[in-house]
Amino acid sequence: MSSLLLALVCRRGLNYFGLGILIPILVLDNVTETLGNNYKLFTHLFQNHVIFNVYILLSTPLFFYLFASMLGGNMAERRRLRWIAVGVEILLLINFCFVQGWGEFNTFSALFISFINIILSCIVLARLTMRKDDESSLLHDPSFWINSLILLFNLVQLLILGLYKYIVTNHLGISNQNLYLAIMPAANAVYYAGLSGAFLLCQLQKNK
Amino acid sequence: MPTAKEQITTTILAVILVLLFFGILFLVMLSYFNFRRRQNAEEKREMQAAFEGQLSQARLEIQHQTLSYLAQEIHDNVGQILSLAKIQLSSFKEGEAIDFPLLDDARENVARSLQDLRSLSKGLHAGQIRSFNIRQAVDEEVQRIRRTGAVHVSVTSEGDEHSIGDDKQLILFRIIQECLNNCLKHAGATNINIGFNWYSTQLRVRVRDDGQGFDAEKTLRLSSGLGLQSILNRARVTGGSGDIRSRPGEGTVVTVQIPYE
Repeated sequence: MSSLLLALVCRRGLNYFGLGILIPILVLDNVTETLGNNYKLFTHLFQNHVIFNVYILLSTPLFFYLFASMLGGNMAERRRLRWIAVGVEILLLINFCFVQGWGEFNTFSALFISFINIILSCIVLARLTMRKDDESSLLHDPSFWINSLILLFNLVQLLILGLYKYIVTNHLGISNQNLYLAIMPAANAVYYAGLSGAFLLCQLQKNK
Repeated sequence: MPTAKEQITTTILAVILVLLFFGILFLVMLSYFNFRRRQNAEEKREMQAAFEGQLSQARLEIQHQTLSYLAQEIHDNVGQILSLAKIQLSSFKEGEAIDFPLLDDARENVARSLQDLRSLSKGLHAGQIRSFNIRQAVDEEVQRIRRTGAVHVSVTSEGDEHSIGDDKQLILFRIIQECLNNCLKHAGATNINIGFNWYSTQLRVRVRDDGQGFDAEKTLRLSSGLGLQSILNRARVTGGSGDIRSRPGEGTVVTVQIPYE
């Protein structure tokens, strides 16, 4: 939530760097987390999996848009990325509707999206490094930090969500706490704190 | 003994840590790559600035030398002849018989000085309009030294001549001038050879004299070796290298290598 508030405060800085799409992503994150944690207040569902499955479906195009903005490629490249996004979305919908279904947590989709995010963030990072002019440092570029955070977060998520069912079924954990619940909040905290830092950097760089 | 569950949990945590390690390593490598690139660009800029500095200094020095040469030529040559002509013409008095041989001599002196002034002006004009040519400039310099009769200077050239940028040629010319000045002022040499070797990628110029020589390493370390240091610095800013070899009683060899591009 604080990350979203900071993003709203620094929205001019974010727009300046073409990262304004992070605001809807954070809104979606917040809505999903709020619904996911308090789903019993709003629905009669026994599980909150459907909320996270829908989140995956909705967030994917937004992330593709974010990567397209950061890649900064030409029209042909954007078009290619758009078609890839459509293809990925179709696969996610197939999994949501027919393979794992909406009632079960879509681990395939989560894994697939984590994988895509890792690949795209690596491409953006490599391109940022190659394209960066000789004057400015990579460390002063908010896109570098945002991509780094996406990369690291998805590396953790890839493993945890990939093994989600196994962890839950076998009650794997640390100090009597579910492994998923032990790791993901910490990863989330680092991820959103890092994003907040990147938002501030956007604003600082814009004001320079 | 850890249970199977504990082992799996530990393995998962270890894999997460390994993944994070590789992720962070990747980011560090990218940052380092970026840092190195910026550092290289900075070094390149500094080199460029040094090159520009040396270039403008070389231009100023050449300008200064040209003016000195002009002043000397006008004073020692044209000025002397015209003074003589003036004295000769002053000896003619109104109402006295004209000494025609003396008048012819005075006319010849005026014509000679006029001719000298013309060739001086022509040389200057040609020097301004033509693009700088190192071989031609060195030849002219050598002619000037030969006229003094103090030392025997030879120029040799091997290989096909390549084009070097005007700026580099100017700096190289200043290096050769500095070497020749050192030979004339300090070395007490009787023979100087300037050798041009045109290789496929670079030009090597070697200025060799048979003078008294000196301890090159020691002189380069001392502040008295500023002229020698400037030779090496100038060679470096062109992207090439320089080398000075000398020992007491064994003459001096200065070698400069300059890449064409």
